[in-house]
Amino acid sequence: MSAPFYKYGLFGDEISLVIAFLIGIGFGFFLERAGFGNARKLAAQFYFYDMTVFKVMFSAIVTAMIGLYYLSVLGFVDLSLVYVSPTFLLPQVVGGLILGVGFAVGGYCPGTSAVAAATGRLDGVVCLFGIVAGIFFFGEVFPAIETFYRATPMGSVTLPQLLGISYGLILFLVVLMALGGFLLAGWAEKKFAHLRPE
Amino acid sequence: MKNPLTNLNWKRRIALLALALGVIALFAGNPYRGGCVSLDTKELALMVQNERDHVSVEQLADWIIQGRTDFRLLDCRSEKEFNDYHIPTAESVPLAALNDYPVQRNERIILYSEGGIHASQAWFLLAALGYKHVYLLTGGLDEWRDKILFPAIPANTSAEQQAQFAKMKEVSRYFGGTPQSGAASDQAAVKKETPKMPVPSGSAPSVPSGSKKKKEGC
Repeated sequence: MSAPFYKYGLFGDEISLVIAFLIGIGFGFFLERAGFGNARKLAAQFYFYDMTVFKVMFSAIVTAMIGLYYLSVLGFVDLSLVYVSPTFLLPQVVGGLILGVGFAVGGYCPGTSAVAAATGRLDGVVCLFGIVAGIFFFGEVFPAIETFYRATPMGSVTLPQLLGISYGLILFLVVLMALGGFLLAGWAEKKFAHLRPE
Repeated sequence: MKNPLTNLNWKRRIALLALALGVIALFAGNPYRGGCVSLDTKELALMVQNERDHVSVEQLADWIIQGRTDFRLLDCRSEKEFNDYHIPTAESVPLAALNDYPVQRNERIILYSEGGIHASQAWFLLAALGYKHVYLLTGGLDEWRDKILFPAIPANTSAEQQAQFAKMKEVSRYFGGTPQSGAASDQAAVKKETPKMPVPSGSAPSVPSGSKKKKEGC
């Protein structure tokens, strides 16, 4: 049996929603356990005195990357069937910057705002409301920005395809990057410890 | 002397494990499957024998009328034949273009050709490439013409068959065909005229999308 299970027809749409629900609950639970339901903790990373967000996210990326790679090398996952969202370079850079500003100002990214709202934090609820309003606004102005939205299309590319180097080498480099990043984060936390409000 | 690993805290051990897996990955090869596959010929043969790989023309007509989009209909004939007539929503994929055609291994694919020989050859090619849900249109375009475009009913029939035929007439008209009524079927056979493309049908919008994909593929 190989994954992705849904694409191989192991279960249908209804079951997939149930599974998505369970995974979502698990995702939210671990975000909360990592302290990500707290806007102070999330915003702290922009002041470099608490790099938990960076460490958790990068650990998750590296874990998923290593897991997917080895599972597919061993034949349990067909990577060519895993959905890769297409790249539109310029609009996604702009979108990323807008999200970053919203993250720093609001203290939450979309996922963590849902976590904060679920645990009853008022700022999380407000942030979630803002996200919905933003989605509505985006939908309303979409006709006007559609050309830009579809600008610089690159298709569903992955780093190994884009750079023309082997998947294993990319994996190795990202692991090195993560380990280097963790060391750097530890150093930054000490260096900027004086910014921590106490 | 103590094992240096036991001195490390668990965070460092995980980091070391990640590093080790990263180094192994350098030599472990490409995770994407190449062109080389293994075939379970017995399973394929069983599938063929049980006709699990077939879709009847009536079923396909139903799906198209319902506007279902969970399958791809591939026309394995030449492009010229495709332009003369094709089943609505079909995409033109001559056999030589099949290898590079953008269909995914998990998609439900229905193949047809004039009688079915080319389609069944394409079926084996796709099966060999690891496609799981590939189906043949039973009887190919010949049967599509006989049963969907120009359905005929024998002279003396039961009421049940008549009712069935009435339904088939509707289906036939939907696809721009001409139902052949009982006694006159011999004369009517002369003026069996394949509907001109584009076929007047509800699924017309999906025809351009099919031809657009064709450009990408070939």
